Amino acid sequence: MASSTLDIDQLYSDHHGWLHGWLRSRLGNAADAADLAQDTFLRVLLKQELLELRTPRAFLRTIARGLVIDHWRREELERAYLESIAHLPEAETPSAETREMLLELLESIARLLDGLKPKVRSAFLLAQCEGLPHAQVAERLGVSVRSVERYVAEALFHCYQARYAE
Amino acid sequence: MNASAELQPDARVVKQAIQWMLRLSGGADPAAQEACARWRAQRAEHELAWQRVQSLNQELRSGLQSVPGSRVALETLEKGSQRLQRRQALKLLSVVALGGSALWLSRDLGPWQRWSADYASGIGERKRFVLADGSKLQLNTDTAVDVFFAPQQRLLVLQRGEILVSTARDPARPLRVRNRDGLFEALGTRFVLRQNASDTLLSVQQGAVAIAPRRLGQTSTVAEAGQRYLVDANGTTPLAASGMDSSAWAEGLIVSRDMRLADFLAEVARYRHGHLGCDPLVADLRLSGVFRLDDTDKLLDLLPRTLPVRVMRRSDWWVTVEAHT
Repeated sequence: MASSTLDIDQLYSDHHGWLHGWLRSRLGNAADAADLAQDTFLRVLLKQELLELRTPRAFLRTIARGLVIDHWRREELERAYLESIAHLPEAETPSAETREMLLELLESIARLLDGLKPKVRSAFLLAQCEGLPHAQVAERLGVSVRSVERYVAEALFHCYQARYAE
Repeated sequence: MNASAELQPDARVVKQAIQWMLRLSGGADPAAQEACARWRAQRAEHELAWQRVQSLNQELRSGLQSVPGSRVALETLEKGSQRLQRRQALKLLSVVALGGSALWLSRDLGPWQRWSADYASGIGERKRFVLADGSKLQLNTDTAVDVFFAPQQRLLVLQRGEILVSTARDPARPLRVRNRDGLFEALGTRFVLRQNASDTLLSVQQGAVAIAPRRLGQTSTVAEAGQRYLVDANGTTPLAASGMDSSAWAEGLIVSRDMRLADFLAEVARYRHGHLGCDPLVADLRLSGVFRLDDTDKLLDLLPRTLPVRVMRRSDWWVTVEAHT
């Protein structure tokens, strides 16, 4: 293991101001920036490995970036979800609690799918959400059945890696 | 290190498990089911990958289908991720295609290394660079290298894959390559360093390279031009000449001399996604020739011209070379 341990207090006092500024310029909102800066340092604390920090700001930025993306993902999913249930009949509209739970579920799935190419993602979702046979997915997307097979396999592999990362 | 960490199925096994699952999902014939059962029984990693792929697939499917409202899950995820991507691109955050913090935290040092690597190539890619001191660095398929130049040394850290280094002279600053297995110091030179799953192979083309194995107390060795050494946890072992030119990849070629077909195919597989199998019946056939790496499908199609084999493509990433009957 590395010999130099991470001095979190030093890291905090040296870089907190800078990180807050960086986050603020991305989020355009001081309160969210303060929250995520706090979260970033919390993540550093939770991380057990003793990392030798030759570039502390790059390290903090990597974590902060991930948190910004989480934050945005949540916002975008919520917006997209509300749009897509807007046209449901009232009786079928889920309660606030159910919505919260479903969003959490969708968020966890979106996280696994993150980084997939759009075509791959579409093929995979059509096959999984609607249980369509590959031939029908191929027809909808205007690609060959073999491509669909490849996309579905690729998506599963991607999810596997995200879940069980080496 | 615990038992389950050792049992981590590698990418190839996972892809095989996925192929099997997809093949069986379309109401497969008993023969395929039996073949799949055999595959699963072959190794513990196969079974583990199979179980994980099954449960992951099941989990995704039931999760997605449990969202009430027709097309709601599909639309939400599609729109959500399109907009997220646009937003990331807009704010120049899109480099983190790998996803958010939870994903990052769940990973070990591996991906962190991947992100931070100064020089990297994907599977099937080869890249060349000139470093700040004029040294040349070539990356073979699936390789990552960090470069640290300091007043007292020029240090490259090979994280994975294979490199060809041609050093520029700088007597004041030795050029060293460190990796999992050892430290290699160039003594005016050109050499290839290849990190395999459990060892590292050094081939010196010109000059010499001093090898200091990772483990303390082991003596260092000087490898001269034309020599090859294997470095692993047990130390440093000289190797006889092999059936393959170790730096031909830098020219985009595989050059084999009387090489076993199975070894040749294992080599080709490094440049491809997916499974490339070799029927044991033809594994020991011998092969000599010069092959271009830029299109490995074409390369495989050449094999039946010189050997009694045929190339069976079950899918884009499931290819086997079998005896020609």
